[in-house]
Amino acid sequence: MVSTSILAVSSHLSPGIVATAVGVPLQSGTTIVQLLVFALLLGGIYGLVALGLTMIFGVMDVINFAHGALMVLAMYIVWSLSSASGLTPLVFIPIAVVALFGVGILIHHFTIAPIMEAPQENQLIVTFGVMLILISSIEIAFSPNPRSYDIDLGSVGAAGVFIPEGQLYALVISITAVIGMWLFLQRTQLGRAIRGTADNRSGAKFVGINIKRIDYLTFGLGAALAGLAGAAIPLIQRFDPYIGDVYLINAFVIVVLGGLGSFPGALLGGMIIGFVQVFGQFYLPGSFYQVMIFMIFILVLLLRPEGLLGGKRT
Amino acid sequence: MSSATGSSLSTVWHRYKQFRNESYATPLLLGIIFGILIVLPALLEVSIAGYSLGTRVSLGMLIVTLVWAYTAQSWNIMSGFTGQFSFGHAAFFGLGAYGTILLVSNYAINPWIGMMVGAVLAALYGLLIGVLCFRYELQGHYFALATLAFAELLRFIINNIGALGGASGFIKPLPREYADGPGLLAFQFSTDLPYYYVILTFLLIVTVVAFVIRNSRFGLYLFAIREDENAAAAVGIPTFKYKLAAVAVSAFFTAWAGAFWAMYFDTIRPDTVFDLLINVEILLPAIVGGLGTVIGPILGSFIVTPLSEIARQSLDLPGTDRIVYGLLLVLIVLYSPKGVVSWPKRLADLLGWQESPTDEDAVDETRN
Repeated sequence: MVSTSILAVSSHLSPGIVATAVGVPLQSGTTIVQLLVFALLLGGIYGLVALGLTMIFGVMDVINFAHGALMVLAMYIVWSLSSASGLTPLVFIPIAVVALFGVGILIHHFTIAPIMEAPQENQLIVTFGVMLILISSIEIAFSPNPRSYDIDLGSVGAAGVFIPEGQLYALVISITAVIGMWLFLQRTQLGRAIRGTADNRSGAKFVGINIKRIDYLTFGLGAALAGLAGAAIPLIQRFDPYIGDVYLINAFVIVVLGGLGSFPGALLGGMIIGFVQVFGQFYLPGSFYQVMIFMIFILVLLLRPEGLLGGKRT
Repeated sequence: MSSATGSSLSTVWHRYKQFRNESYATPLLLGIIFGILIVLPALLEVSIAGYSLGTRVSLGMLIVTLVWAYTAQSWNIMSGFTGQFSFGHAAFFGLGAYGTILLVSNYAINPWIGMMVGAVLAALYGLLIGVLCFRYELQGHYFALATLAFAELLRFIINNIGALGGASGFIKPLPREYADGPGLLAFQFSTDLPYYYVILTFLLIVTVVAFVIRNSRFGLYLFAIREDENAAAAVGIPTFKYKLAAVAVSAFFTAWAGAFWAMYFDTIRPDTVFDLLINVEILLPAIVGGLGTVIGPILGSFIVTPLSEIARQSLDLPGTDRIVYGLLLVLIVLYSPKGVVSWPKRLADLLGWQESPTDEDAVDETRN
């Protein structure tokens, strides 16, 4: 599978094509602003994906390989509901998020919960198995052909920078979700319980937090976040059953970059990788930006394995 | 004492238990397994009452099964014995494939030499990964993710460098272009049967290596590191050095499978040999069979690979083999985390032949 290029920006195209593809005359100043907008957008989506992954890791100490598959599942849920009903895909995004929450709970119940105490590799292998099952089922049900939402969006512009509406919606969705998640984790009792469990599992148990229920909730929320990011992605690019792989691998990088289990770290890491990818795609040949992303990853692992905002594993 | 002690099956179990505790048990079982594997291609032709094994199982399927048995055995030396869970063995597999195909395609250098070059490269890359990761004491999730990153890094580097074939990869050259024609020297054959015996020989070599390591002081140190690294270091085992040695040996042999892959199949692309799934295919037979055992990876591969191959062929839907594969992963981890080698004991426990389930004298599966 060839790495799927994100956004309309593809480095296989010349910079001129990139600029016209987003409806901007090629001027270096506006190009940079345009790229910054893309980077912010992609960074926001990456932040969402990584937030779900890092929650599951921080609270449960589980690496969820099925995360990318859950994103893809949400895409196809929105796509099929929208094409069956003829309504705009935007109204089905919340439905997909709720559905993914349920799927997350089910996956946790049947595959993770029974082996929470087992060695770490076991959970990794189980989630990889779930990923294979989900992706292959989607491939069989919907064929591997690329699809896109049936939605016709114009673009909004100001000061020479034009943002396609799809990207604007995706940006609004990801920023709202990140703020909402942030408030939930910081300001609510349940959010505090989740953070407490991430900080110290046994400590949380001693102060009366039902960590088993927190596990269910965390996995459900993590899946819902993956679902939201997944449902938003087709607003900015075409998708196929395998698109989750690229996001998953980059989300791992982001999560380690920000600090495994660190919520602000996931958002910061998402932004960094979003910028590296968008500018790398524009200025570097081929998919060299991916090489850069892995170099950053390895450097962080070696120099600061606790991540940029990981601190001492809080 | 169980009431079933007197039954004949129970006696068989106790005999087996005694046998398993003998020092010659594992070599004998391995000998039997390899004996079967040697005659297996011939058995495909035999038809009993109009039904022959060959209708369901092809030689090609057996070859792929042996490839994954071989890689799992190699992976096991590092991850099963030493406990350093690698999720990036595709790096070594791919280096073996690329070392071989690059040299033979561009410079007409014999693939056997290419295989050794690839293996040395893989061992060096393994050492690099090991030095970097162990120096900074990456463990558990961090180590698994780091190994995955090193594998993905290679995939993207090769994808982007035209001189290394880029994304389209290489097509295997004809044997006449670098040798006298098909044959052992050219590492290319006109039929599948010689390939089968080549990969079987590889498997025999790595199995002997794994068995020797397991029963040596070296192996003892590796298992000590797996059980408790701090304790191992405290009693004076140079854990850093031994972990590196395990990685290098494991990487070296994994590369052979990549070389075999390159010479058996017609094309090599970065997205096939460095694929995410290759990492899993390499380690799965060891987990299914029994982590850290010598017999496990072979048994495991003969369960996993034919099942997904048969699923692919009989259901005729692309993707079903991966669903079967995924289900196997989930079921094995949930219901049989100690692998196939633990089944005789579990059966005995189930039927109450064991004096008590926690019997200290019970067969120690990890001795397989």
